[in-house]
Amino acid sequence: MTPDCRCLIAARAALELEDGQVTNLGAGIPMLVANYIPAGIDVVIQAENGITCVGPVSPPGAEDPDRRNAGNLFVTLLPGGCYFDTATSFAMIRGGRVAATMLGTLQVDGDGNIANYEMPGRKIGMGGAMDLVAGARTVYVLTEHCARDGSAKLVARCTLPLTGAGECDVIITERALFRRRPEGGFVLEEVARGHTLEEIAACTEMTYTVAADVRLDAYGPV
Amino acid sequence: MALNKMIPIDEAVARVESGMTLALGGFLSQGVPLTLIRALATRPVHDLAIWSNDGGYGDDGVVELVKAGMVRELHCCHVGYTPAVGRAVEAGDLELEWVPQGNLIEMLRCGGAGLGGFLTPVGVGTAVEEGHEKVTVDGRVYLWEKAVRADVAFVRAHAGDLVGNLCFRGTARNYNTTVATCADYVIAEVEHAYSVGELDPEKVHAPGVFVDAVVRADVSYCGVRR
Repeated sequence: MTPDCRCLIAARAALELEDGQVTNLGAGIPMLVANYIPAGIDVVIQAENGITCVGPVSPPGAEDPDRRNAGNLFVTLLPGGCYFDTATSFAMIRGGRVAATMLGTLQVDGDGNIANYEMPGRKIGMGGAMDLVAGARTVYVLTEHCARDGSAKLVARCTLPLTGAGECDVIITERALFRRRPEGGFVLEEVARGHTLEEIAACTEMTYTVAADVRLDAYGPV
Repeated sequence: MALNKMIPIDEAVARVESGMTLALGGFLSQGVPLTLIRALATRPVHDLAIWSNDGGYGDDGVVELVKAGMVRELHCCHVGYTPAVGRAVEAGDLELEWVPQGNLIEMLRCGGAGLGGFLTPVGVGTAVEEGHEKVTVDGRVYLWEKAVRADVAFVRAHAGDLVGNLCFRGTARNYNTTVATCADYVIAEVEHAYSVGELDPEKVHAPGVFVDAVVRADVSYCGVRR
């Protein structure tokens, strides 16, 4: 996974955000999405540790130890932002005020199950992810298409502990975009530049269908 | 005077005894009561049950108590930044219970507010379900989560007065306002201490009624620069 691949996923994901939406961006690739939000689109970025209107990472020398995001990075506060306690933060999240949440994953499957907090020999923790996938209106999983060892991350059935059951709405990788139909089942809507339908089929264990109007060369490096 | 709650830190942490339940404010390295945690780490105390957002950050925080062999069980939602905590769990030296963050704060909030528990949609269909009764309300399934009340709580505030009124700053507020309510004995470490009447009553985030003791925070901790 090159940095370029991560940015490519973030850039495509940023196009999903709508003006005025409250959005929570998880650690890793999702946090990069903030760098690609199109001009004219104002998004309120909420971080579950208790801050809204999170701005870019603080420039060196201007860090405030009491102004960080949920990944513990020093950040800036944009106009309109404020601070609040954790109970209030999760009232926003469960109460339906967060329109979109974007998070990384270890596994995701065709039923929309997400597993992202524990694997054998490595304890990470769900943080606020279980609350976010249950509470946000649209749940985006942003992930490399395959794990570092080449194994599938879009699996037939999640085998790791679930973060959410049936909660994933959209999957965006450096190779493809899948959207879940309201009646269930993911549809391959977009294939990134440099990849083919056959190639996607070969590296995706998750069950999906191909949209009749699937877009090839939909995004990716020019 | 009875309204002066400022006491020496040794006296404050001596309230924590083996086998007790301890609740901690803080999030990674934001608003963590590190002065109290480090004072506690020198005490001959063991078998603690700790409720906290996380295992700490790097070598700082709960992980210090874990390394000192003082913790029997940890209830939290993240140990990704403290590999030593994960290793202690793998080695069988520490019991870990995963609690989703929003459920965790609400358990402590209910414990502080005299409530028995609450119904949450978070965790349905996951391993969190285990041991929880399910309740359906208006067609939606919820887990019945019980309240948690601690014996002692540690919080860290930006400013506090001698009666324990507390003000927080930025994202260091996080769990602290809630944790300040959820224990029988609440100790606040304050970065700046004020006399009674000096704090603007409109700016108080946690009323002193909840706080039993106030100690001075070491402001060199948590990367606090002044």
